[in-house]
Amino acid sequence: MHESWEQAKARYEEIPIPEELSATVQAALRTGSRQSARRRRWLRGGLAGLAACLCFCVLVNSTPAFAAAVADIPVLGMLARVVSVEQYVVHDAYQYIQVDLPALENTGNTALEQRINTEIRTRIHQVLDEAEARAKETQEAYVATGGSEADFIPVDVTVDYEIKRSDERYLSFLLSVCEVRANAYTQLYAYNIDLTTGRQLSLPDLLGPDYRKTIRDAVLAEIDRRTQSDPDQMYFVGSAAEENDTDWADDPFSADPQFYLNSDGQLVVVYEKYAIAPGYMGQPEFVIPLPEGSDVSDLTP
Amino acid sequence: MVHAPTTRELLSGYIVEHQEDFYRLAYSYVKNRDAALDVVQESIVRALSRADSLRDPDRVKTWFYRILVNESINHFRRSSRLVPLDVLPAETPGEARDDAARLDLYDAIERLNTAEQTIIRLRFFQDMKLEEIAQVTGVNLNTVKSRLYQSLRKLKEMTKEDCNDA
Repeated sequence: MHESWEQAKARYEEIPIPEELSATVQAALRTGSRQSARRRRWLRGGLAGLAACLCFCVLVNSTPAFAAAVADIPVLGMLARVVSVEQYVVHDAYQYIQVDLPALENTGNTALEQRINTEIRTRIHQVLDEAEARAKETQEAYVATGGSEADFIPVDVTVDYEIKRSDERYLSFLLSVCEVRANAYTQLYAYNIDLTTGRQLSLPDLLGPDYRKTIRDAVLAEIDRRTQSDPDQMYFVGSAAEENDTDWADDPFSADPQFYLNSDGQLVVVYEKYAIAPGYMGQPEFVIPLPEGSDVSDLTP
Repeated sequence: MVHAPTTRELLSGYIVEHQEDFYRLAYSYVKNRDAALDVVQESIVRALSRADSLRDPDRVKTWFYRILVNESINHFRRSSRLVPLDVLPAETPGEARDDAARLDLYDAIERLNTAEQTIIRLRFFQDMKLEEIAQVTGVNLNTVKSRLYQSLRKLKEMTKEDCNDA
């Protein structure tokens, strides 16, 4: 009998390991740490935020000196702009939802705050309603096809945000909705606000009318650089891509990617999972050079 | 928060070191290379984003395998509802009971239910202790034992051999 188990185990160990396993694992580790870094940030922010909120409103409004002093402290300066207004967890038979809802505050522009905050709230509620309907449907289908209710692993939805740049002039943050069923899918919503005008930035604002070509050139050049230096990286476009890789899809450059401004004053575009690369590459990001004379790269203290 | 990075480093190190084991286990459920890669990827993302819930670093193995097994079963169930007709095995259930056909042990394991398959794979292919299997599958030790013996009996029936050397 030992023999049959040895044979069975040998067959199991003969399952071939694909070449891209280690690249997939590395990409997953990167994505995972990014998500957990966000989570840790709000845990820390939660405590500081609580203390800060207690005395903030009073102090900021009463003494300009204090407001000016606070703006110089990076962490507190950020808290004064984007704060978590609602954090909650919903856990029932078919879903596990964790929400950290951001809102804009202390920008000195109430109309802008109201507009953005209403938009964020409406968007999140709509997304969660859809996710709930899908979770219900999945669970019912699962039970109807003979699965036991106790064995169903709830659909997992996490709403979170990440501040990319926050200074006197620009505020840039990403709102992310991550839904995990058999696959994880993260939907990003970027908010890039010029605080001096109260307007949301657009790619043509930043790069000029030929912005699509600028992005395309920069992304293709960077893809070639990455695929040459690291053969584990793979994209559907670029000179290393197989010709038929994009046959089935629309030109990925015909739609505008999400973007944000980072704390180094750079413009970064983010492509959705599967848009320009296989799923294991996650959501690839690219720095796009800003035109000569752009003041976006000027960092205010 | 001082200890948090070490938990995460420990977890990342553990994942990198055992990635091939994870892949084989995932593959044994989903039977498809790309799907198995997806399962490994999603398990890692999920594990890292929940790293704070790993209270006891000594349990990193069972804690991670629990996520991996859940992801594998979820994926397997979802996709098994969608198998195209021409991929379905041509055999009928009746053939399994054909006394003349002696099933290979490895193929016989595939005929067990998911919970039984999990226990057999963890016990014999990943060489886990019964207590570890209990932690991974979230059931108590006695349930693991009785499911294991029940699975071995079924395997014996199917292969006409005595598999009982757990």
